Amino acid sequence: MAENILEVIKLNKAYGALQATKNLSFSVARGHIHAIIGPNGAGKTTLVNQLTGDILSDSGKILFQAQDISRLKDYRRARLGIARSFQITHIFENLTVAENMALSICAHSSHNFRFWRKGLQSGVVREKLADCLSRVDLEKRGHIVASALSHGEKRQLEVGMALTGQPDLLILDEPMAGMGPGGTVELSKLIQKLKGSTTILLVEHDMDVVFSLADMITVLVYGENILTAPPAEIRQNKDVQAAYLGEQD
Amino acid sequence: MKKLSRKNILIAAGALFFLVLPVAATLLEETYFISLFSRILIYAIAAVSLDLLLGFAGMISLGHAAYVGIGAYVVGIFFFHSSEAEPLFTFPFLLQGSESGLLVLPLAVLISALFALVIGALCLRTKGMHFIMITLAFAQMIYYFFISLGKYGGDDGISLYSRSSLPLLDLNSDLTFYYFCLFFLFLFVFFAKRLVDSRFGLIIRGGSNNERRLSALGINPYKYKLACFVIAGGAAGLAGGLLANQTEYISPGLMHWTLSGELMVMVLLGGLGTLFGPVLGAAVFLLLEEILAMYTEHWMVYMGPFLVLVVIFAKKGLFGIIVGEKNDNG
Repeated sequence: MAENILEVIKLNKAYGALQATKNLSFSVARGHIHAIIGPNGAGKTTLVNQLTGDILSDSGKILFQAQDISRLKDYRRARLGIARSFQITHIFENLTVAENMALSICAHSSHNFRFWRKGLQSGVVREKLADCLSRVDLEKRGHIVASALSHGEKRQLEVGMALTGQPDLLILDEPMAGMGPGGTVELSKLIQKLKGSTTILLVEHDMDVVFSLADMITVLVYGENILTAPPAEIRQNKDVQAAYLGEQD
Repeated sequence: MKKLSRKNILIAAGALFFLVLPVAATLLEETYFISLFSRILIYAIAAVSLDLLLGFAGMISLGHAAYVGIGAYVVGIFFFHSSEAEPLFTFPFLLQGSESGLLVLPLAVLISALFALVIGALCLRTKGMHFIMITLAFAQMIYYFFISLGKYGGDDGISLYSRSSLPLLDLNSDLTFYYFCLFFLFLFVFFAKRLVDSRFGLIIRGGSNNERRLSALGINPYKYKLACFVIAGGAAGLAGGLLANQTEYISPGLMHWTLSGELMVMVLLGGLGTLFGPVLGAAVFLLLEEILAMYTEHWMVYMGPFLVLVVIFAKKGLFGIIVGEKNDNG
């Protein structure tokens, strides 16, 4: 059995009467692309936010590399090697594309109390910036203020920023949201390329993408894990079809 | 490489203007301008430091005058004790008053920064409207504290009989003092320019737009915002120390929220989120005040609509109008 990088144990989160995450347990094997699917309102984004620390869980445990991170602040978890992209684009709209990327690169240095040298010219940034930009096809857009990018480009930047630190676990929350077919293909290729070097937890609506990329899929319905299995098994499972796949057509 | 853009031409012209102004004023025998512009230079330092908070870090502080006032009081209190030949305190160590600029000006910066550290550490636990109100509340607390401080003149403040002494420089000469202030303004704007482009600056500017992303990248925004708050507070302290020297008089009025408001107006007028804008803003504000006050004591009646027009029609203030809106930070 492969070593698990992430273990989620009996996680709960309620908003008033609404149980967004219900006694949820699953584990993610190192090196896998693990997809989370589920109908709208299944609690996918809530789960992501619980994992990254944007939301504190009511109860349950999150073990990352065998360390309990359930009570750590978001920036501490990021420091441990969990990177994420947001479903709704979170980029620094007031900075240029290059500055956005530079900031993500700098984030992984021990500290950034560096007041004098230009941020864009600091060693780590010069070393990595070009690669980081070209990885998400933004090398020609570096000087543009991020707010002026097209929606698709903003999504590319969003994912690109999550990738800069070579995270151990990359959580992608609907990275394809609002992307055209071309963008979706490009991004799928990128995710495929990352496979092996990093573990990816992928929350995605596009079933073609999920079934072509994922090693393992967890199906979430009303905050509960109804099945975690390889794609082939998921496709044939009657519960899953009833809960989710049937709604697609 | 420096480009010969409108922005750079304007900045060079501005620097040149400040450099030759005393010469022109002396030739025209209007030496009054030298002290008026000394005042403008000092307010410009305070306004630029406030813009680091407002325009770059997205922290709306309505209590910036507190640090100006503290800086001024450091100079004032040391002067007071020096002229009374009475130590400030004897425990835990003996501290004598002083008129030496080499001591009191760095102390003005340090002590203001220290206050900013303590106040900022508390204020930054809040956000948005609460942050605005709590910075205001702290500043007003300090204001009332100094009002009730009878030893240092309370409401009336303290008059200084002379400016701080420095080796080689005689600050009592208005001309020397002007260039002394100009030196600090140039130095600070240059430092601030480096700061906003640095890695620290990237974080500060990024955080003003999207703090959640910053956290997701593994950066704790709090530390960086606090550091920025302290830097701005220290610079405001420098402005305060210079202002005490310029007017040779200090009073709690320097800490009143109206001064915080005026500094904010200078920033908005000149150009929020630019470094040269607040300098321009300070100059325009104080000159307009000076000119309008010659005709009416209700000069704010005219200043108000002017500010409204600038803020409505120019996102980056007067600086933005002159250099074109596209220049994001100057």
